[in-house]
Order: sequence, then structure tokens, then C-alpha cells
Amino acid sequence: MKYCSLGEMMIAALARTIEDGTLVFHGFGSPLVQIAMHVAKRTHAPRMVLVAGATYGVDPKPPFLTPTSNDWVMDRGASCSLGIEELFDLAGAGRMGRMFLSGLQIDKWGNCNVTVVGYPGINLKLPGGGGGCNLSCDAAHVTLWTTAHRSPKNAAGRRFRLVDECDFITSLGHRTGDGQRTRDLDHRGNGPQWLVTELGLFDFDADGHIRLRALYPDTSVDDVFENTEFMPRLAAEIDTIPPPDLPVVDIIRRLDPLKVHEKEIRAEEMGREFEIA
Amino acid sequence: MSKAEPRLIYTEPDKRRTLDHLATLVKDGMVVAVGGGLSSREPMALLRAILRRGTRDLTVVGSAHGIDIDLLSAGGAISRSSESYVGFEQDFGMAPNYRRALESGAVKADDSCCYTLVQQLRAAIQGLPFMPVRSVRGTDFLSLHPEYKQMACPFTGEELLLVPAIEPDVALIHAQYGDIQGNLLIQGPPVADVLFAKASRTVLATVEDLITTDQLNELRGVHIPYFYVTAVSEVPMGAHPTACYPFYVYDRPHTALYYEAARKGAETFKADYLSVFIHGAPTHVDYLDLIGGEKTRTRLSSWSEGDESWQRLYVEEAIT
Repeated sequence: MKYCSLGEMMIAALARTIEDGTLVFHGFGSPLVQIAMHVAKRTHAPRMVLVAGATYGVDPKPPFLTPTSNDWVMDRGASCSLGIEELFDLAGAGRMGRMFLSGLQIDKWGNCNVTVVGYPGINLKLPGGGGGCNLSCDAAHVTLWTTAHRSPKNAAGRRFRLVDECDFITSLGHRTGDGQRTRDLDHRGNGPQWLVTELGLFDFDADGHIRLRALYPDTSVDDVFENTEFMPRLAAEIDTIPPPDLPVVDIIRRLDPLKVHEKEIRAEEMGREFEIA
Repeated sequence: MSKAEPRLIYTEPDKRRTLDHLATLVKDGMVVAVGGGLSSREPMALLRAILRRGTRDLTVVGSAHGIDIDLLSAGGAISRSSESYVGFEQDFGMAPNYRRALESGAVKADDSCCYTLVQQLRAAIQGLPFMPVRSVRGTDFLSLHPEYKQMACPFTGEELLLVPAIEPDVALIHAQYGDIQGNLLIQGPPVADVLFAKASRTVLATVEDLITTDQLNELRGVHIPYFYVTAVSEVPMGAHPTACYPFYVYDRPHTALYYEAARKGAETFKADYLSVFIHGAPTHVDYLDLIGGEKTRTRLSSWSEGDESWQRLYVEEAIT
């Protein structure tokens, strides 16, 4: 019997959100997504245009994953490189098919906050969203992800990752803080389409609200309810997230010998194992 | 920007100056565009020289940054940050000095986003007062930046956001190569450096290697024409501890030491890092001695020996 890790399960789930023949981009500090894009390119999406975050290299073949993203390792073998303005122009003109975004807070409409906790009075300054704000509006589709959906209680009180309302909207979901539909803003893109967490796979219903679609073999609907500040909606049928097959696991392990992607996984989740075909 | 103030061009045939002279051109209160990005090609030697002078009250604008802005925050040099990202990614996490400075209110959080910044720089480059973007509407960047204006496009009726030109007082750029006239050549991702050079009133450049114009033209890379550049200084290892390929890779052990000191608090960082590597090293040569001199340079250049040696440079945790 062979097993894969939670990180490998999440990488496979993220990779499945990528369509062949589309231009896909990732930001910095996103090793799970970086690997998922390479997995997609080498399996079901060979004609995807893979643009690496930070280096803007096109279709690179890095020998290994580095812990920082603006490194020459990450654009080795690229067929060409874009400038920062060209990458964002592509999205502004409607050529970017998918972007991956995350947040320290993700709300029920898919808005994300990576700017500040507490606003306008700052309690916690987060690193900032890079170009995520622009791309959340311009990219045709967005996949959200987080590895910290499970939110343990601590002395300071409970701090959820999936929150009712973000303190600050860095990147745009389907409704703004006052409930206005963001599609009325007439942006280029269609907003968040998927959310992959360590507890499940979610999409967005006709209201633009987060909806549970699938669980891992070792998570339950109760886990999701327990760890979400708002009441998540449920799809008519809840599926089980399939594990990656062996060749996919092999691609992941070859690409990330330094196990950079495991830094994204919380220590408490590291023991989870999934049987693979 | 106003059309009444045309920007200068710089035509002096020999723009060589010392690193400390470059630092004197960065005055209190200026808007500064720091070049490079994340762990690559940050103008670190120039930032250290600026910190040693005690320069204050700077506004920094930029896209994706890390140790550069974190260090300026710790040294008390900035009072406003309009960066899009400041952190150490998955490698070490959030930027401790930057966080402290912004959470205490010592530095005003004026976050921006990459494309917004690109459009604002493009406006300055083209001599226009603003540029439009379609994105950003609906997010909280509108309340953070009351200077943004919305308007209906006079041609299509579409709602657009207008963002004003950003014309930094000074751009600080570390390039691999340059000549004495100020032509610069950047290899690898230029990040926003070309935009910064063209949008800013003055450009201060440090380079790993000062070569002839003919040699410059034989190399591959992105060029910045000399007339944008105000002064240039040859500063080998000038981006340390960030990377400047092909010369050297990101110094992860030194960054780990930096981060450990920063994580422990402002006082520890002052004692263990600022007073040692900034104020304890009056010149760049003194700094290079402190970080291990030739031995360190050799270690960081060993990436070119092959993928295995390259990979090894990311697992070393301790200072060697």
C-alpha cells in the first residue's frame, strides 16, 4: 500500500482546477500552487501557459523548488520572460485564465484579506497582497486556497480563517462588505470559482456564497462547521476528494526535494496520510 | 505631476561616485523606489549606507519586497510604506521589523497593489497626470487611497478607476553591470526597475561590475539608458544578503541570522544586527569582512557548479 501526504492531496486538488490551453499565474509564498501548476502542465494541461510568479518566466522547468520565489532556479528552462507590466496587462486585457489567491481571512463571499487585521486601527500588519487585488478583478477565474481552515482556540480567543466578514478586502470575492454583487462592478473576471482547504473543497453557489463540495477521506461536515465562522452551505451531494495517482506524487517529490511546500502545512496536520491507487 | 516641471536628463560622461556619496543624495522626506524584488538584487549596500547616515522620514514605494524594507523599518528611516508586499515568503514568514513599525504607527501603512503601481509609474513615465485601471473597485484599497478617483469612460461608459502618477524622488537600483556613463544592464527578472528608472527624478545605481560600453553591449539582459541615471558606484556583493546572479545566490544562513534577531524584538535586533552589520561596519569593505569575506563569496558563487551544489545552498542553516 502506498500513501501520500496532505500537502500532496492539496496540490492534486489545486491542479485539477487548471484548464488546458489557459494562461495561469501564481503569486509569491505559494509553494503548493507553484507545484500544482507544474503538475497540471506535466499531466492534463500540457498547453497551459505557465507564468511563474516573481520571475515572470514562461513555462520554466526548475530543477527544484526554492524557499523564495524570485530566484534564478525558478525560471530555468523558461521559453521567455515577461516584464511586470506585460504580465498585468495580459490580465487587464482578459488573457489570464486563472490566478491563485489566499488570505489570513477568507470570507463567505470569497473576499480575502492579506493586508491588515483591524482596520483602520491596525492590530496585525500582514505582508500585503502583491498584485492579488488587481488580478482578483481581472483574471477570468480565481482558485482560493488555505492550509489553516482548522482554527484552534487560544488564549486570545478564537481567530477563524474562514470568517463572516474580512477586516479589509484585499482581493475581491462575489459580494462586497455591504452585500453588493461584485458582478455589477463589471470587472473583467468572474471571481473565485474554487476554494481548496485542508478540510475540504468548496465552490460558490448562485448567490456567490461558499458551498462545500467535497471532503477528504478523513474529514467530516462537522469539522467544516466547527472551524468556520459563518454557516457553510452544502452541495446536494458531498463527494470525496480523490488522491493523486502515483505519477503525480512522483512529479511532486522530484520537484520539491527540499520539501518547501511542507512549510505551508500546519504541524498538527502533518501526520495525515491518504492511500493512493 | 505637472507639465511645468520637466524631468532632467543626466549627460555627464563619467558618473562614478562613492557609495557614501550616493547615500548623501537621498534626503530626509524623499519618496524612494527601492529596486529588485523579494530575495533578489536588492540594493542592500546602498540601503546600509543610507541607514548609517541616519536618513529619516522616507516614503517607500514598490511591488514585492522583503529584507530591504524590513531593514529600513528597523533603522527608523521610513515613515510611510506604499509597498504591495513585504515579507519573507514561506522561507521565514512575516517581516518582523516592518510589522512592528506599522503596528506601532511609526510607519503609516499605505499599501498598494502591483498593477496599480505599474500604472502610476507609467503615468509619470509618459508625463501624464494619471492612468486608468479597471480593477480595484469594490476592494478596501479605495478607502486606504482617497486620492483615487472613479469616472465613467467618455467613450464606452465603463466605470474606471483613475490613479495619479507616482514620480519617485529617487530610485535605488543594484544592477549586475554598468559603465561609467551610467548605462545599466540587468540580467534575470528586472522586476519594476526599468519602470522605476524612467519614472524617478534621480536614479542612483550600484553595480557588481563596471565595464566598458562595448562589453555591456555584448551581454544579454535588459538595458537602462545612461541619461536616466544620476550616479553609479561599483559595489561588488552590493546586494548581499539577497541574490545577484550570476555572481552569487541568496545568503540563506545570513538571512536566518537576521530573521532570528528581528523575531526576538526591536532591542535584540538593534544589539545583534543593526549595531554589528550596519553601524559596526563603517564601509562596505568592513561589512564584507564581517560576513566572512572571500569564503562567503566562494560559497555563494558555488551555485554554478551544478544543481546539487545549488540545492545545498538552501539547506544550510548556520553561518559558516
